[in-house]
Amino acid sequence: MVPHARARPVHGPWSSGRVLRFRAVTARSETPAFFRSSSVAPGPVQLLRLAVNDILSRRRLIIYLVQADLKKKGADTLLGNVWWVVDPLLQMLIYVIFMGVILQRKTPDFPLFIFCAVLPWKWFDSTTKDGIASVVIKDKLIKQIYFPKLVLPFAAVVSGVVNFAFGLIPLFALLLLVYPQRATAWVLFIPVIAAVEFVFALGVATLLSALNVFYRDISNLARHLIRMWFYLSPVLWSADDISHIVGHHRVLAPLVVMNPFYHLLGSFRNVVYYGQPPDWGGLIGLTLLSLDLLVLAVLIFKRLEPTFAKVL
Amino acid sequence: MSSVAPFPFDNPATERFAIRADELGVRYSLKLTRKQTIRDSVVRRVRREGDPDFWALRNVSFGVMQGESLGVIGPNGAGKSTLLQVLAGILLPSEGVVEVDGHISSLLTLGVGFDEDLSGVENIRLAGAFMGIDHEVVEERLAAIIDYADLGQFIDAPIKTYSSGMRARLGFSIATSVEPDILLLDEVLATGDAVFREKSKQRVLELVRQAKAIVLVTHDMNWVTDYCNRAILIERGLIVLDGKPEEVVALHQEHAAQRKAEAAAKGVLQLRRPRPGRRR
Repeated sequence: MVPHARARPVHGPWSSGRVLRFRAVTARSETPAFFRSSSVAPGPVQLLRLAVNDILSRRRLIIYLVQADLKKKGADTLLGNVWWVVDPLLQMLIYVIFMGVILQRKTPDFPLFIFCAVLPWKWFDSTTKDGIASVVIKDKLIKQIYFPKLVLPFAAVVSGVVNFAFGLIPLFALLLLVYPQRATAWVLFIPVIAAVEFVFALGVATLLSALNVFYRDISNLARHLIRMWFYLSPVLWSADDISHIVGHHRVLAPLVVMNPFYHLLGSFRNVVYYGQPPDWGGLIGLTLLSLDLLVLAVLIFKRLEPTFAKVL
Repeated sequence: MSSVAPFPFDNPATERFAIRADELGVRYSLKLTRKQTIRDSVVRRVRREGDPDFWALRNVSFGVMQGESLGVIGPNGAGKSTLLQVLAGILLPSEGVVEVDGHISSLLTLGVGFDEDLSGVENIRLAGAFMGIDHEVVEERLAAIIDYADLGQFIDAPIKTYSSGMRARLGFSIATSVEPDILLLDEVLATGDAVFREKSKQRVLELVRQAKAIVLVTHDMNWVTDYCNRAILIERGLIVLDGKPEEVVALHQEHAAQRKAEAAAKGVLQLRRPRPGRRR
């Protein structure tokens, strides 16, 4: 296989430049391949190294993008950033009215029960949607300047973290002021569970943002799938309820346990509502899965990245 | 190739390449870019048509020496902007090799990347970060950029309140604040009002003097003959002529006149048919 026979090694007067770029592609290169520093198609390890370099060298850009995003979310509203706190509260209120009053659910301390799951779910929901769109909305810029596109989904997901963190304010207020008898030290494990969710969301957003460039159907489809996922996850009901309904069904029972949010939301609810340790087994398994997903997502993203400017 | 460039360069022309393109080709697969639906794809498969390709550039080979200023001219859609995108690293060549020796700055269309909700200052910082300029350097040049754009109090207002001329001024000011070795310019000279246009012309000339090599895409033939020491004419993705600016411009104008005549002939025919009684 001599795909890059044309590429010549760097030598002579060429090597004296400050920035030396060397790109070579063969005739069949709609399969993306890009070469900034060598004439060899980067393998997976090389791609990962490039990706890490992309992120580390453009930290400042990610910070600016996150700041811009946060500023925009509060722009043109009277309440501004207060919405970050009010938003999850209102959503909780709707579910409490819907489930508690209309469907007559008899779960004790129902607002807290709902809120500790709505918050992480809402985070995943909005961060995935923002992440998927993150590359496509920068189409003009991508055609005008060269920059590592990987910063776009990363910035979208990081900005979601800030929103989530603000949502913790009303959660703690609810827990400490209204239901102090439920507060335990296990609450301090929220950041650990959130970290697992962060890695998972980052993988999902990175993968789908790249695919969405080629098939915009992804964002349409994702909207509905996420909605479906919501009802299959223990947000409005407890993990036990779901397990109880599916029982020992041969197909459904394992499926329920395979849902990452079965473990994530279960863990959140354990530490906040039940005052119990998180679902350690599930979290460790999910961490491994999320890291694999993230690596795979970054590899696919980096492979597709060079064609973005052509397709957008 | 040791054609001397007395003006506008301070750096004399040398034997070193700044840019070298060898058998460069850029192909757009219409399957991906024209967004076929699954139905279209199936229809193609059934009719046994291949997926259509479009070569925006083909067999393009040229070199730009350190100290040279290359003008790129040609009709609309000939592939001039694609060429600049390849040189800037935005597009990858589908075949061939591009080698670039030096730090590149591209002034492609100005101000498109602005974030509407952010203020002028914030957009300067964001643009700097996108261009990969160090944070400290951006902060250092911030005052100069603001000063040059000359937007007064608007610099702290969101971009969405700007007029198109103000956007162009800010974009121009940001884009020209870098100190590139190799400068790529794409029709950046026609921005803003008359005063700013004159000001921006001076700024571009200044940059042209500093840069080690320039590639300029323009429809303004005076720029090519006045400030370039070489030019290439691109038509339909191919280099038609590579040579002295005067010769290349002459051929371009000849071809343009031909095209105009052909278009006029076609136009008369089309006009005639529906209204036979009316002639020009």
